[in-house]
Amino acid sequence: MSETEPEPPSEQPGTDAPSTTTAGETDEQIREEWRQYDFAGQAKIAVEDLDVSYGDDHALQGVSMDIPEESVTALIGPSGCGKSTFLRCLNRMNDRIKAAEIDGSVRFDGEEIYQDRVDLVELRTRVGMVFQAPNPFPKSIRENITYGPRKHGDIDTGLLARLTGRNDEQAAEDLVERSLKQAALWDEVDDRLDDNALGLSGGQQQRLCIARCLAVDPEVILMDEPASALDPIATAKIEDLIEKLAEDYTVVVVTHNMQQAARISDQTAVFLTGGQLVEYDDTDKIFENPESQRVEDYVTGKFG
Amino acid sequence: MTMARESYREDLATLRADVLDLGADVVAQLDRGLDALEAGDEDLAETVVANDEAINERYLALESECIDLFALQQPVASDLRFIAASFKILTDLERVGDLATNFGHYTRATGESHLDTVDVRAIGAETVDLLEAALDAYEREDTALCRRIAERDDEVDALCRTASERVVRDLIGAEGASDAWDAEAVMDDVSRALLTIRDLERVGDHAVNVAARTLYMADNDDALLY
Repeated sequence: MSETEPEPPSEQPGTDAPSTTTAGETDEQIREEWRQYDFAGQAKIAVEDLDVSYGDDHALQGVSMDIPEESVTALIGPSGCGKSTFLRCLNRMNDRIKAAEIDGSVRFDGEEIYQDRVDLVELRTRVGMVFQAPNPFPKSIRENITYGPRKHGDIDTGLLARLTGRNDEQAAEDLVERSLKQAALWDEVDDRLDDNALGLSGGQQQRLCIARCLAVDPEVILMDEPASALDPIATAKIEDLIEKLAEDYTVVVVTHNMQQAARISDQTAVFLTGGQLVEYDDTDKIFENPESQRVEDYVTGKFG
Repeated sequence: MTMARESYREDLATLRADVLDLGADVVAQLDRGLDALEAGDEDLAETVVANDEAINERYLALESECIDLFALQQPVASDLRFIAASFKILTDLERVGDLATNFGHYTRATGESHLDTVDVRAIGAETVDLLEAALDAYEREDTALCRRIAERDDEVDALCRTASERVVRDLIGAEGASDAWDAEAVMDDVSRALLTIRDLERVGDHAVNVAARTLYMADNDDALLY
């Protein structure tokens, strides 16, 4: 390195490391670097030393990362790298798998979610999830939206409610409209809210699932391959929606589609085999000049 | 670990080879242009001018090769930097081709000239050498060489400045020296000399551009771009 080498820009992690290549750097050093990854704003979710194993199988090893609020964080990596496992740890969906052993810390707004007194229903309300295949209830579009709030007691238009003078019908209508508008679906369905949701196209069903998730007023939205079952037009609509949602929500997206991660996310975390988080940085940094040679090889498709 | 995207990797290798090929042809054009200018060889000058069209066509074909790679392969990381750098370097090479053509246009078979006071051979050789070094740096991704090219270009700039001053001084000294003073002819000759110097300097600048893009490509380092 000659003396004319300029200081690397301050947003780059590991200013003492060469800005050029990671050849010679160990994974341990790289992990130390991305721990220092600094973003503007508040960490909504702070994960530290997260280990997950299914029996002898290590799905995640020592993963630490802070997820900034009101932004899109993409999780990418080959199949079996642990990115979906990681996503499911963020609202304790892995609790449902008996064989899963989970160790480490996940703090949500500073509160540890892996402790006994956490109310899982409340947690999953605040940290909502949208899955790969659209899974609307086989009910009307309207009922798909009101199901969650009704369940949580936020709205109630049943007989008991009417007898006790608690008739929230208008509130429910407002919620349906607001949620569908937020999910960019309102204009396509406002004249058929009582139709069965299963009659919608795949892309519309997925946006309905997003609307359903928004109806319970979450703060974080986890998405596991939300567009992989959709055609390019429907995918584009979901991608637009994700960017829009990030103005008010913290969005974490698992995707196999690297171009999609590049298009929609603010920061990208790359998981590689063995359940390791190898690099986590601003998305443009990951796709223009990754620190790690393994990440470089992965994003350029040099190994597969 | 198995290699994937084999035909894409072949396309990248082909692009690099094609850029270097065009580079070699541009260097040859530059050599011929300077030879013609110095020797007053109008036939050679004509050949140089005639060759330019072929250079331009290949430049456009390679530019479109880059665009295809962007559109079809969505390159990222070092691949992205390589294609983006090559795309810009192609433009620099095409411009050097134009400058070689200029030397052809400046070539005159006869007569004394203010150009005689300029050491076209020495400055020309230095700029050709710079361009060859820049292409070599691109081929081998040699970042240290990129930086040296930028430094050496400062010397070329200094040589060109001195040469321009000499032409102007010479002009002032010669004013009205003989009865045969032909203002039109002198003006034409002096501007030809000054344009030659300016174009030599520009060849050096383009060599630095090639080095700057190469440094970005290899190291994601934009130090020489500014």
